Amino acid sequence: MPPSKKGGGKGKASQASTPPPPPPLATTTTAAEDKVTSQGGATTGKPPSKESDDESDSAIGPVLPSSSTAAPTDPLPATAALPEPRTVLERTRARFAAARPYEARLIFGSRQPPPTLAEPEEPGPGLGGLKDLEPRERAAWLATRIAARIARRPALSATTTTGGAGAAELARVACGGGAKTVREAWKLVNEGSVPLRAAGEKQLLGAATAPTPASTGIARRRREGASSRGEPAPAGSLEARTIAAAEARWERRVRLACLLAESRCFRAQRERETRGVRDDRTGEPAVVTEREVVEDKRRRLEIAALRRDMAAHGSGPASRAAGKIASNPDWDDVVPVVLEEPAGALASIAYPADYAEAMSYLRAVMKANEHSERCLWLTEHIINMNASHYTVWLYRAAILFALEKPIAEEIEWLNEIALANLKNYQIWHHRHLLVENHFPSIAADPAAVAAFAASERRFLERILAEDTKNYHVWSYRSYLANKLGLFSDADELASVERMIDDDVRNNSAWSHRFFLVFSHPDRATPGAAATEPDPKAPPEMVDREVAYAQAKIRLAPQNQSPWSYLRGVLVKGGRKLGEAEGFAREFVTGLGKGEDEEDVTSTHALDLLADIYAEQGRKEEADLCLQRLGQKWDRIRLGYWEWRRRGLGTEAAAA
Amino acid sequence: MADEPTLDIDRHLRYWTMCLRSPLPHHYLSSDGNRMALAYFMINSVAILTPPGSGKPSPIPASDRRSLRRWVLSLQQPGGGFAGSPTLALPPGPDGVQAVDASVANLPATLFALQLLALLADDDDDDDDDNDGAAAAFDGVDRARTLRWLRRLQRPDGSFGEALKHLPGRGWFVGGGYDMRYCYIAAAVRWILRGDVQEGEPGWVDDFDTHALARYILSSQTYDGGFAGSSQEEPHAGYAYCAIGALALLDRPISGHPRPGGTLVASIRDRPGLIRWLASRQFVYLEPPEPQEDDDDDDDNDDEDNFRLPQRLSDLSLTENLRHVACNGRTNKVADTCYTWWVGGALANLGLGAELGGGVADGEAPGVLLDRAGARRFLLERMAHRIGGFSKHPGGPPDVYHACFGLAALAVLGEPGLSEFDSGLAVPARTVRVMERARAALVERDRARDRASEGDGTKRPAELAGEAVALGLAMAGKKPAWLSER
Repeated sequence: MPPSKKGGGKGKASQASTPPPPPPLATTTTAAEDKVTSQGGATTGKPPSKESDDESDSAIGPVLPSSSTAAPTDPLPATAALPEPRTVLERTRARFAAARPYEARLIFGSRQPPPTLAEPEEPGPGLGGLKDLEPRERAAWLATRIAARIARRPALSATTTTGGAGAAELARVACGGGAKTVREAWKLVNEGSVPLRAAGEKQLLGAATAPTPASTGIARRRREGASSRGEPAPAGSLEARTIAAAEARWERRVRLACLLAESRCFRAQRERETRGVRDDRTGEPAVVTEREVVEDKRRRLEIAALRRDMAAHGSGPASRAAGKIASNPDWDDVVPVVLEEPAGALASIAYPADYAEAMSYLRAVMKANEHSERCLWLTEHIINMNASHYTVWLYRAAILFALEKPIAEEIEWLNEIALANLKNYQIWHHRHLLVENHFPSIAADPAAVAAFAASERRFLERILAEDTKNYHVWSYRSYLANKLGLFSDADELASVERMIDDDVRNNSAWSHRFFLVFSHPDRATPGAAATEPDPKAPPEMVDREVAYAQAKIRLAPQNQSPWSYLRGVLVKGGRKLGEAEGFAREFVTGLGKGEDEEDVTSTHALDLLADIYAEQGRKEEADLCLQRLGQKWDRIRLGYWEWRRRGLGTEAAAA
Repeated sequence: MADEPTLDIDRHLRYWTMCLRSPLPHHYLSSDGNRMALAYFMINSVAILTPPGSGKPSPIPASDRRSLRRWVLSLQQPGGGFAGSPTLALPPGPDGVQAVDASVANLPATLFALQLLALLADDDDDDDDDNDGAAAAFDGVDRARTLRWLRRLQRPDGSFGEALKHLPGRGWFVGGGYDMRYCYIAAAVRWILRGDVQEGEPGWVDDFDTHALARYILSSQTYDGGFAGSSQEEPHAGYAYCAIGALALLDRPISGHPRPGGTLVASIRDRPGLIRWLASRQFVYLEPPEPQEDDDDDDDNDDEDNFRLPQRLSDLSLTENLRHVACNGRTNKVADTCYTWWVGGALANLGLGAELGGGVADGEAPGVLLDRAGARRFLLERMAHRIGGFSKHPGGPPDVYHACFGLAALAVLGEPGLSEFDSGLAVPARTVRVMERARAALVERDRARDRASEGDGTKRPAELAGEAVALGLAMAGKKPAWLSER
């Protein structure tokens, strides 16, 4: 399955589960909502798509009237009735209504038109928006659409035509009408005094609700979680942002842009100083004064503060840029150690710029053996881009211990990283190390150990729900059970039993069950091998496990996991394999009695029978089982079954 | 049989040439910490595809070998071992001495580096023993320091980690979790560098505890016969390869062919169980049904797509269903190119290499533990990509890891046209001969150095230990814990 299709499927699914909320101004019927969508598609030619909220400010910006609409012969109602909009979205809708009165009518329906529109004569019963318009209005609406196309097209061909006649001709062709149509259209536009440019409809339709297909695991999960719980629009979204907040944000952005420009000038000047460049006019060498250095430091502190502030209030270019280390004053004193690949470098990778930058700072601070908050942040920054640097994880551990950070918080932080990087194993090595160092602090308090075991299990169940056979997770789970002594923990046993009930072929869960049952310190000889009998294993426990495996085999006889488990249990209990002879025969009938009579529903039963017969010295019967496996029931392993036959040392096999 | 697929060697060489000539795409970013491994996959594959006398020109001209070896050596760390990637290697300080962070040296990277140096050795002049490219392959490798560093990576239970780090307030820590791969790699690095110097002789370096390692490995067999990181985890074909491979390498003579099934391998507790478990990794690969249109429910079905069960068990006796034989890494898991290699290599290291080769459908004599013909068809018809290389799952894009181990799998199954392959060291057999000669030259140099210092009385083993203390002081500001313990 190509990943792209998978991604598409996810996007689709989440889109379907989170329909865009109805615009607050169109709180009418479902029919009206349907109209919103269909008309949106008809007018823009594409469905509403996600827009970054930062773009909305500029998109709703000035609504330019066309040059020909200067005459104040306004047949539209005055905007005096407009109630003060409270949020950015409301303001956008009001502006849209002012700029495209007829389309606003079509989109919002006529029953509850936007406040800028006159009361319609009759409520539209949903028979199509155009019917709601008077003929005069309809003509004006059509004319704006045609004129808008004309207005766009000639501009494109301005380089190839010289005269106005050529442009008019092209415009005529562009809109598919005659010269008369064009003239008519402009006339109507002039008369109607309708502006030609307006806000796009996507801002109108609740832009922040459509998911983006490309997003990281954590972000996606958070978003899906939020939308499926039916939570209100997030605080940073267009729906919720008030105009005052939007303007404050806009001011911050302007301030940030100014600061960045000034800082860039400063750096350019410093660069000129280092290179010894002289001024063109004065011939003086470029100089950076001490005061300018101090000023720029202050400037970049403010930049960092602004960026943090904006990152905290919604995503956008500002927060994306916050990762840049070179412009962050916290890192002023660090000289990055840039990687220079020599000739003959093998397996070079096209490093993204952010990554290369971060690694060059990492080399610098590792060289200085620095253990600080900013280094901790740097390791997180790198881990978010590449979670499999063994050295970065060890460095992070060293910083944590040096700063005496609370380990429980680090474990919490690690959960999200693990969920976003399911196939990574360094994360689990790190967790292992954390638990080794956390456990002594809780070991004396059974309640604390139980609470920690429960919270770890909740997380493990969550991650195993995403990837039921994840090797690293199960390895860690086995380590944890040993460390915390979870062998008698009813929840741990029940949790694993549930996973076997969910998927009886989950061999990881079977392995974990065997470990919990047969490594219990009260019922196991320390250091006993997994493949040898253990006299400390209680017989009733062995019986219980035999019955458990047999019940699961009956559910799916060709499933090897419980067969291996059954053998393992018999060996551990010091039992003869022959104890299972009756059970194994349930899956084999008429062996060697010809194609019509012979039936086998589990090759593993036949395999076990061969061992049982061999154990009892019934070599001919054992040989027959192996022979039939190779000849019919498990032909791809013919070589293996023949090898087993040779091991029996019978005449038939030797022949 | 008439309709057997052929391995298109030129196409695979084109794939590797592409990987060698241009930077890898950013998808490989998560492997940045182990670029040495990526390099090994590339150079090893080229070596597998260009056996001597095949007439295939190598995409690595002889003139490039020296600069490639220089790159590998540039990642050697002052405290022994190699870094996995130049993005992690620290630069020299103002005094020109390379800065040290012990954790930069990495055990897997060290094995890949040594394999690369041998793979990239200059070709020998046939009749001129004085101009011996093989003997010079390890020039620049600090044998003694690397072996001493290797020893420090062993934990008290006998297992190995991958890197050392001094943790403030906690002392030295062996990082890397409990992972059978590190045990195998430790045994391989030891075999490649140690040689036959006896204790007390010049050139001697303290060995790690081989008995503890063997005990640790032997105790990691699981109830169903496989091997895991410990006996309390799920067995895994990669770990089984590593467990068997490590035991075989601990027993392996320093030159010549390995003893089939050495004494350590023979001491595996449940050998029949292990062979059953390995033979069970192969399964009949049945084609998935045509994907349905608008299938939104496909998120987590990857696990089943590659591991389809027949409607009825007797369907498995139908010849048309036996065409493709895949291997998985664990019971009830999906097909993956690399497991044909891990399983085939593990069987070969068990001393059952003679049981490989042949197959059912091509009418060869029975006696094979892996269905060679079916496995070969699966790799060539389902996993090989049209631009060359092999993918992880059927229909996927190729990547250097699976492309390399797809070739290794074919080579260990005896594919004609490929280099003879050493299943224990995972390089062509001729590269192992290079390692043997390169090691002999290194050992000779260390012997001569020790003899010289004995002669003038300047360097004694105690002084070497003193150097190590100084190194520890430089790294952590205190005497290393591992030295104080002694």
